[in-house]
Amino acid sequence: MTLPRAAGIAAALAAILVAGCGSTQAAAPAPGAGRAARPPLVTSLTIPGGPSWAIVEMGGPRTRHNNFWQLVTRPAGTASWRLATPPGVADNGGLVVASPGGPALVAGFNPSQDLTFSPLASTRDGGARWTPSLLPAGLAHVPSALGTAPGGKLIAVTGRGQAEFSAPGMAGWTRLASLASLAATPAGRSCELKSLTAAAFSGLGVPLLAGRCAAPGVAGIFGYSAGGWHQAGPALPAVLARRQVSVLKLTTAGRRTTALLVAAAPGGAASLIAAWAGPSGRWTLSAPLPLGGARILSTATGTGAGEAAATAASPGLASAAGVILSSGRAEFTAGPAADWQQLPALPAHVAALVLGPGRQVSALAPSGSILTSWHLAAGAVTWTMTQAMKVPVPYGSSG
Amino acid sequence: MPGMRSGLNLGNPLLAAAFRSALLHQGLVALLIFGVLAFAWVSIREWRPGGAGGGTAGRADGLDAEPSWRMLLRVGFGLLWIFDGLLQAQPSMVVGLPSQVIQPSAASSPAWVQQLVNWAGTSWSYHPVQAAAAAVWIQVGIGCWLLAARSGRWSRLAGLAALTWGLVVWIFGESFGGIFAPGLTWLFGAPGAAIFYCAAGGLIALPVRYWRVPWLGRAMLAVLGLFFTGMAVLQAWPGRGFWQGRLGHGAGTLTGMIQSMAQTPQPAFLAGWVGGFGSFTAAHGFAVNMFAVVALALIGAALLIGAALPGDALSRPGTRTAGTARADGQMLPVSRARRWSRTLADRRLLLIRLAVIAAVLLCLADWVLVEDLGIFGGLGTDPNSMIPMALVLVAGYLAVAAAPARATAAEVAMAAGVDASVAARVDRAIQRAARVLAGAGAGGRETRQASPEHARAGAGATEARQASPEHARAGAGATEARQAPPEHARAGAGATEARQAGQPEHAGADRGANAAQEAGAPDRAAAGAAAREPAGQPGGWRGRLSPGRLVAAFAATDARTLAAAWALGVTILGAFPLAAAAANRSADPVIAQAIGGSAAVLNFQAPGFRLTDQDGQPVSLAGLRGKVVLLTFLDPVCTSDCPLIAQEFREADQLLGANRRRVELVAVAANPVYHTKAYTRAFDRQEGLTRMPNWKFLSGPLPELKRVWHDYYFPVQIVPAGGMVLHSDVAYVIDAAGRTRTELNFDPGPGTSASKSSFAAELAAAALKAMKSS
Repeated sequence: MTLPRAAGIAAALAAILVAGCGSTQAAAPAPGAGRAARPPLVTSLTIPGGPSWAIVEMGGPRTRHNNFWQLVTRPAGTASWRLATPPGVADNGGLVVASPGGPALVAGFNPSQDLTFSPLASTRDGGARWTPSLLPAGLAHVPSALGTAPGGKLIAVTGRGQAEFSAPGMAGWTRLASLASLAATPAGRSCELKSLTAAAFSGLGVPLLAGRCAAPGVAGIFGYSAGGWHQAGPALPAVLARRQVSVLKLTTAGRRTTALLVAAAPGGAASLIAAWAGPSGRWTLSAPLPLGGARILSTATGTGAGEAAATAASPGLASAAGVILSSGRAEFTAGPAADWQQLPALPAHVAALVLGPGRQVSALAPSGSILTSWHLAAGAVTWTMTQAMKVPVPYGSSG
Repeated sequence: MPGMRSGLNLGNPLLAAAFRSALLHQGLVALLIFGVLAFAWVSIREWRPGGAGGGTAGRADGLDAEPSWRMLLRVGFGLLWIFDGLLQAQPSMVVGLPSQVIQPSAASSPAWVQQLVNWAGTSWSYHPVQAAAAAVWIQVGIGCWLLAARSGRWSRLAGLAALTWGLVVWIFGESFGGIFAPGLTWLFGAPGAAIFYCAAGGLIALPVRYWRVPWLGRAMLAVLGLFFTGMAVLQAWPGRGFWQGRLGHGAGTLTGMIQSMAQTPQPAFLAGWVGGFGSFTAAHGFAVNMFAVVALALIGAALLIGAALPGDALSRPGTRTAGTARADGQMLPVSRARRWSRTLADRRLLLIRLAVIAAVLLCLADWVLVEDLGIFGGLGTDPNSMIPMALVLVAGYLAVAAAPARATAAEVAMAAGVDASVAARVDRAIQRAARVLAGAGAGGRETRQASPEHARAGAGATEARQASPEHARAGAGATEARQAPPEHARAGAGATEARQAGQPEHAGADRGANAAQEAGAPDRAAAGAAAREPAGQPGGWRGRLSPGRLVAAFAATDARTLAAAWALGVTILGAFPLAAAAANRSADPVIAQAIGGSAAVLNFQAPGFRLTDQDGQPVSLAGLRGKVVLLTFLDPVCTSDCPLIAQEFREADQLLGANRRRVELVAVAANPVYHTKAYTRAFDRQEGLTRMPNWKFLSGPLPELKRVWHDYYFPVQIVPAGGMVLHSDVAYVIDAAGRTRTELNFDPGPGTSASKSSFAAELAAAALKAMKSS
């Protein structure tokens, strides 16, 4: 072969190679492929006989660190919301909260940018004053990453899939479990535990961890007692026997534990199930709510319907649950005996539902620096604006 | 807001001033080099008797006259390199090149390409002023070198330098011309302008024996033909957005590119043209792409066909050959096959010519309407790929049009209008010369007597010289036939002709002749000087490097070679500082000064404090006497600035080396809520500071902290609604006697590795300075 001919062949091969390289487009990942979507941090909880708390995201785009998570509170018996975001830490990464009851609350800051651990703050007066503390690791990016019990015990799920426990007084943290150690237990193996998604204490103060199970038909909620972890979740009905279940939220208020479960079918269709457990540990499930391919944008737990008006002396039970979906629907159930109800069309920018006593529902709509509160009276079909609050979002302070 | 990260903007005045200063200083050095060389040259030539003259360096002789294709490439790309070097002198290049040009070019490429490009971008960002100045002088130097050195070893080295630097630019500056990224298209300049610079450099670097080989032009055209054909296929490939002027509510791929180019700051009329073409493409995207596909395909096909068809030099139009010469000089009639061959060659050349014209016109249209000339916006590094591509196209055509094919010297002489009998005698003389030089061996140097008849004259001109007047000058394009004593004749051309005439025994002479040609100016001068010495003088490299020989060689150098040497010096003027900077691990402190401003020089007693370190040990400023203290204020739960500053302190500690024993790095907690030991320890773990023995993160009761903040003019403010605690970023250098010597505005800037390294270098330098003044 002569040199010119060899050069020509090499050039031809190069041209073909270039054509092939240059013609390909980067393949976009298929929708829904890969890991499950992150549970939303936008959430609310109403304490029986106590205040309502809500976490919403305000400000600008996350890419410029101009998003700031705000904690707002509505004291019991009032209609007005006020800002209660704990001071001293940039919260671009998110906020998670847990309440032992009454006006007390523990808030945790999710790590963001170069901060890798999670400062905490606790209040006993509804957010008027905060006491700082620390979790040496970073909280997981899930709405139920923190759990607390009366007396001051704390449990936390970290971003590295570990569960930390702190005794009353927050003197320090000890490792309670890890994803690997929990998955290796008989209860974990039966669930084929894949990730930890929530932490709480039961009505009796038993540490609870929850996660996502690969084994179908199993709700991955585990309780710690007698030095070991055991299955503590509800038995699922036959209709959910072939679905993989993930715990979206786990919270205890008063003496009732509320769980929101997402059951996904092999073809991708998912349903939402609310579950409640009393102090005895016996679970009651709602009917499955088909999500119709929509994502859950926010969750809410609160006091239920048909119960006596809660007071501080008689907190009652928390049993209502609600969600806002990406399709624009808002669904709500008043308790174990109630069906899912679709709420009237939401006002613009509504991001969070707040479930008050007596089937009263509020909605919070953040837009830039303005937080608007809407109220739906029992039996009403339209929303009424009750408050527009200007929040001093510190744009540019985290850049 | 103070304390928040600020970046480097493109027109940072400090960096722009430093860049101008570097260019000015290096420019003066370049002038100095030129002045010294010129002075020495003139002086030596005046001083040495007979030192002048004999300089034929840099000129081509006879059949080794630089062919037109090579001249076009050399001059064209020489000017382009100089122009690119001047573009590189734009002030925004210092900061903008890595972030606005280099890294975005790799954005769509695979990860390994991005890693490679990011390494180069990071290296540039560590020493932006040196890198930017180096790019100017390297490119200007290469350009001048190409223009100055017309032939010989100097010229080939210039081509090699252009090839090398072109590869550097293609890989690191153009991310391999984007060939690994989606959306590759000829219209946007694929496969990158730099590859054509490399091709030109490689062609210029070719040895003389390849200058007129018949297949060179064909190979160039074949490669270009394949390239155009491949680009046509790519352009026609479906699903890449080129067939649609609009995609949904947005612009198609080509439309979007053109519209973005129209937004570049440029003269209004040009923006109008480009914008108008963008609108046209939006409305008629299919037609525009179809035109591009068809044009590229036709051009490619024509070039390939033209490269593949047979044809030789004598059959070209305008050749005045009458036929084949016999050995006795009588002409034989032209055969029918030869006439047919001549017609086919005419058509072949016409096809190639039309293809090249069409390609050049297409290149120019794309250069204006799509690439938008490529030089506007403050960050244009070159006029994009169309001009270099057009140069290579035309060079390919010239190479085909000028290839001598199988002509003998006599035939070529006849083509030049020289009498056949004379041409035959010349042919025989050259063949005798070729045999003699073949016997002298490869690599033999030309030896010639110092005789004016052997001086070369005129670029591009060929000369037929002999004692006989029949050997008149034949003009450009004709080959040289020179009669001379055989032992002094240049065998290059003759040997080439002899080989082509099927006399391989003379091929060896070709190497000897080529070596003489490629020896270039200094070697020619050395040969000339050696020729003046008695024949048979032993050489050897020691002899050649003797001062006398070197001076003689320098004196015999011609102006072109001197210019080439100067251009080499300019290139080294850029390359050497760049290499030295790349070897320096620490970034240039000028980056930190550009972000945070220059350090303030102070001299007052530092306010004392008594706090507790992260281990619970009491620490006071008085207790740190005898050591230099680098003091700053850090929020232990900060998400952005403070972790960066901590890293800069850590790196400064490493730069101090053994001197770190004399330095204490101290931070005071700067958060009124999260300030206790638990948080400072968590911060230390996060930043890897737990193993630094001279690191202290101090905290204490809030009233004591507030007093320290007040004494050091350090404001701290809680920001509501999820904001970080507001504070400034400052560092103080306190000497061993407890006096504050320097205040550094320690805004960490963009947090790149370069800015971190720069701040660390600034801090370490300030600490060392304080040590010396203590």
